[in-house]
Amino acid sequence: MKERNKIGVYVCHCGGNISDYVDVKKVVEAVKDLPNVAVARDFVFMCSEAGQNLIKEDIKNLGLDGVVVASCSPHLHEKTFRNAAKEAGLNPYLVEHVCIREHSSWVHSDNPEAATQKAIWIVKAAIAKVSLARDLESIRLDMKPEAIVVGGGVAGMRCAIDLGRAGITVHLIEKSPFLGGRAAQIGKMYPSGISGIELVKKLVEEVKNNPNIKVYTNAEIVSAEGALGEFKVKVKINPRYVKGNVSDDTISQCPVEVPDEFNYGLTKRKAIYKRDFTYPDTPVIDMNACTKCGKCNPDFNQKPKTVEVTGSIVILATGFKPYEPKEGEFGYKVYDNVITLPVFDRLISISNGKLEYNGKEIRDIAFIYCVGSRNEEHEYCSRYCCVATINAALQALEKFGDLRVYHVYRDIRTYGKYELYYEQAGRDGMLFFKYDPENPPVVERSGNKLIVKVKDLLTYGEEIEIPVDMVVLSVGMEPEMSDVFTMLRVPFSRDGFLQEVHPKLRPVETAIGGVLVAGTCQGPKDTVEATASASAAAAKADTYLVKGYAELEPFIAEINPEKCDGCGECVEECPAGAISIENGKAVLKEALCKGCGACGAVCPTEAINLRGYYYDQLRKSIEAAGGD
Amino acid sequence: MAYRALDQAGLLHVHYTPNTVIIRIPCASMLRPDLILHAFQSGFDAVFVASSGPDCPFLGEECVRKTAKRIEKAYELLDEHGIDKNRLLLTGVCSTCVEAIVGGLERLEETLSGE
Amino acid sequence: MKYDVLVIGGGIAGIEASLTLGDAGFEVLLVEKDPSIGGHMIQLSKVFPTTDCAGCITTPKMAAAASHPKVHLMTYSEVKEVQKTGKEFRVKVLKKPRYVEEDLCIGCGRCEEVCPVLVPREFDYGIVGRKAVYIPFEMAVPKKAVLDLEHCMMCGRCERACPKDAINFLQEPEEVEITVKAIIVATGYNLFPPERKKEYSYTGNLTLIHTNLNPNIIHAMQMERLLAPSRPYHALLRPGDGKVPERVAWVLCTGSRDKSLGNPLCSRVCCMYSVKQALLYTSAIPFGEAAIYYMDIRAFGKGFEEFYTMVRDLGVYFIRGKVARIESRNGNPVVIVEDTETGEIREDEYDMVVLSVGLLSNPELSEILGIDTNSYGFYVPPDENANPVATKVDGIFVAGTATCPKDIPDTVAEAAAAAAQCIAYLKEVGT
Repeated sequence: MKERNKIGVYVCHCGGNISDYVDVKKVVEAVKDLPNVAVARDFVFMCSEAGQNLIKEDIKNLGLDGVVVASCSPHLHEKTFRNAAKEAGLNPYLVEHVCIREHSSWVHSDNPEAATQKAIWIVKAAIAKVSLARDLESIRLDMKPEAIVVGGGVAGMRCAIDLGRAGITVHLIEKSPFLGGRAAQIGKMYPSGISGIELVKKLVEEVKNNPNIKVYTNAEIVSAEGALGEFKVKVKINPRYVKGNVSDDTISQCPVEVPDEFNYGLTKRKAIYKRDFTYPDTPVIDMNACTKCGKCNPDFNQKPKTVEVTGSIVILATGFKPYEPKEGEFGYKVYDNVITLPVFDRLISISNGKLEYNGKEIRDIAFIYCVGSRNEEHEYCSRYCCVATINAALQALEKFGDLRVYHVYRDIRTYGKYELYYEQAGRDGMLFFKYDPENPPVVERSGNKLIVKVKDLLTYGEEIEIPVDMVVLSVGMEPEMSDVFTMLRVPFSRDGFLQEVHPKLRPVETAIGGVLVAGTCQGPKDTVEATASASAAAAKADTYLVKGYAELEPFIAEINPEKCDGCGECVEECPAGAISIENGKAVLKEALCKGCGACGAVCPTEAINLRGYYYDQLRKSIEAAGGD
Repeated sequence: MAYRALDQAGLLHVHYTPNTVIIRIPCASMLRPDLILHAFQSGFDAVFVASSGPDCPFLGEECVRKTAKRIEKAYELLDEHGIDKNRLLLTGVCSTCVEAIVGGLERLEETLSGE
Repeated sequence: MKYDVLVIGGGIAGIEASLTLGDAGFEVLLVEKDPSIGGHMIQLSKVFPTTDCAGCITTPKMAAAASHPKVHLMTYSEVKEVQKTGKEFRVKVLKKPRYVEEDLCIGCGRCEEVCPVLVPREFDYGIVGRKAVYIPFEMAVPKKAVLDLEHCMMCGRCERACPKDAINFLQEPEEVEITVKAIIVATGYNLFPPERKKEYSYTGNLTLIHTNLNPNIIHAMQMERLLAPSRPYHALLRPGDGKVPERVAWVLCTGSRDKSLGNPLCSRVCCMYSVKQALLYTSAIPFGEAAIYYMDIRAFGKGFEEFYTMVRDLGVYFIRGKVARIESRNGNPVVIVEDTETGEIREDEYDMVVLSVGLLSNPELSEILGIDTNSYGFYVPPDENANPVATKVDGIFVAGTATCPKDIPDTVAEAAAAAAQCIAYLKEVGT
């Protein structure tokens, strides 16, 4: 094919991010006289309006037939430059965006000369690639207004409500028997002061009243597959084993009592149980506990039901789990009265009159902060625990009065207006001790008291011994794992939570197109932040589903029938079943093609190419970069 | 995914050898073995195929098997042309596997300097 | 004129909300009181914890807002009246005179070159000057000049220099009436004026650093400008005498967590931006010494703690103590503080001190909109846990720092959340 020979090359300074190490002028010099290049320029911010205008003007005035932009990662701004080209009348896929920031200036800041050389190679390879680029058209994909939300906690419900109200059919899948998630276990929420149960009730009401939302509880995801516009999720709905209406009276007749997980075993529940504040109203029989006495008129013949739901978008709202301290960590599981914050939260909610634990009245409590956070195992801060701990302590004080409260902390991170809680704690006479992570506090027993020994930095390192009745460990958050992550191949961040594409540019999207994240599966959050991020995910989904279509990149396989000899290797190789042999030639079903290009690699006659990555382009790139 | 790891390396400002050129492809399974040979013939001393490994957004675990087949073929081609097979390295690199990138490049450097 | 949604405020929150609504197919009017959109974020150097340059994130979003077929911009304009009648809001917007015809101006900057008047440049918080007729900053959207009549001496040079005859001294304020179905309030924050903290000796007018008691005591937004890729002087110099600052301190909680100043709230971003500034400073001046005076380091967001640990390991000093006062010795600021981990009273001399000022509310429009604020002037979403962006008025939503100080990731999330609530509301009332 004819080579493009009016290519514009634009090298970005990124305001110093690149130009501090890569000599951008030298890069421009090195390529400006290449045969395929019409113009080469450098500019302080290529992505700014002025930078984009520079490209647009050149396209119009110089009649450019290709563009190379060398700046940051194409994951950030490839779309920006493609759009700019499109606006100026150039096919957007004649733009090649290459990275000389993450891939050169930032990693070779110790060697500016080599960084510059590398940038030149990268730009030369890009020019070669564009010189053989073809006009491509994006693929318009119609979107059925249907979404799948995984997780029925506050984030999942918030997201489902927002989508349902916007007219989108939502499949809300919850693995436990009831909606609500972990927020319901919180006694009194900051900042609005309502209880977790009230919050859940409010959202559940909206979910129930929205005809667009279909709820699946007690539901396990068996498989999940597909792509933007066409996800399929198989859900196994486990039976509840109950028949008709079951009265509270009937439930109370169940002879079995097991620890109630909702209260972390502080109370008991029956083998048949329900949660009044949430949905569904139907109770469930816990078959691990049930003795099959039959008093509740059960139906043990019920079988799991598998349903398949479809959706154009999948939103993951799978939440977190509290960190479970190791045996012996600050006396956990060694001494009875060492408990975690979520357990303490339930304890204050269910206690009346006085605060008792294991039959003993609690008068002094020490809270130890950053348990399971900011350490070797979990480098991150869990964000919610400082405020949640102080909030719980204030609530305990308000409810039971006459408590002595000690906080043993590293930094108090009551950010924003939550500072007022910290201040209140000080006013209420709670005492604060700051520990150094090198010298963490030690919990011991002395008689019927626990002793917290801490080297307190606020008194210049004095060894202080605090005798208390109870130690509460302020535990951090860990991501709640789900098989659906691997089924959909969603990448993780270094901290183990799901990774967003970019925290500011694309905070609710993942690298997998059409899979969004909401709430704490992406990182620790409180309920305000979790619901905000859930709505943000709904907004992103709206941009596809309310509009009704998406434009996809055209990078799929292309078969040249003239070269094809019908050997069928590609049919075998294709993971999506998109290729078949018809009349002795390979034929592609474009809608099924995922764009991996595996077919092209096995074709003996090189009849198959991947659009946007044609083999002749790659070959020429390799030659150009390896040339010197 | 491997491309994202290179981005991540940039964000973390880690250093690796600068005499590298990055050619971006969507999935390592599209790599024709002759392209690898072509790189050697075009003047490159070594080729590092940073595949997504089992994290591949296109093929998942299947990607490992498919890509391995390509590399085996490439080894045969290198043999035919008398090029040291140790100069070709395949590694599965997840989106945050910065160490895999840096380590892989170090290994290639060692191979090259050992000759 | 009719739109689906009015977005008030052209900072990152307003831009994000507008783009999301536009992408979903709704007609949006974005009103910004300054001559350019971009808000505070465009003034920042780089942003934590990724150290991307702020411009790299903001400018393409600004450009996208300007070129989006569904998003309409009205800059240098203020919302003056909002009336809800039935399902509609009738809104009066005042378009302030630029004295430059927006349609004609091509942003060439010739007027700036010839203008003889020099006044402090707002964009750089007065570190350098601008002309009386000026383009607010390099990446401004729209990139159009504006004439500051207060300082103009009417010499007419710009009028003669303009190749498009765009200067028009006779422009009048113009009131535009629009009708919308919903409103998103993204009016952001006001910076704490550091001269209010008398003990810290920053007595300068915010835009006039040269009248500071000690010009080497600057505030954090000024430091952002000094660290920005597009920094004045293209070098990191202290404003007092142009010396390279070899020892720099950050004083956290200036105007935050301080009841004596009426602001007990934590401003949520100062810890992290100071840690980031210390990192940028030590990379700009490798032999430089950086110290941070803090009460608690609040590195709570995703990747923040890791970032803080990294900077701490790089050798930035962290001294725990609320700075009592800042004095001067030989033109150098001296920080007086009790180190609360040792009990020692320290007097530390620096070349430059950065006051890590907090974020105050911007409740300007609360009466016009009829939505409540708390006693600190931040808007209060009545049902914050369940729906952090809804207000008590159906159809009005609020996002970003208008409800509380917050960082950019949280702001962007809330802006999108407000867009989602808005879309749900619009679908219910019918569009």
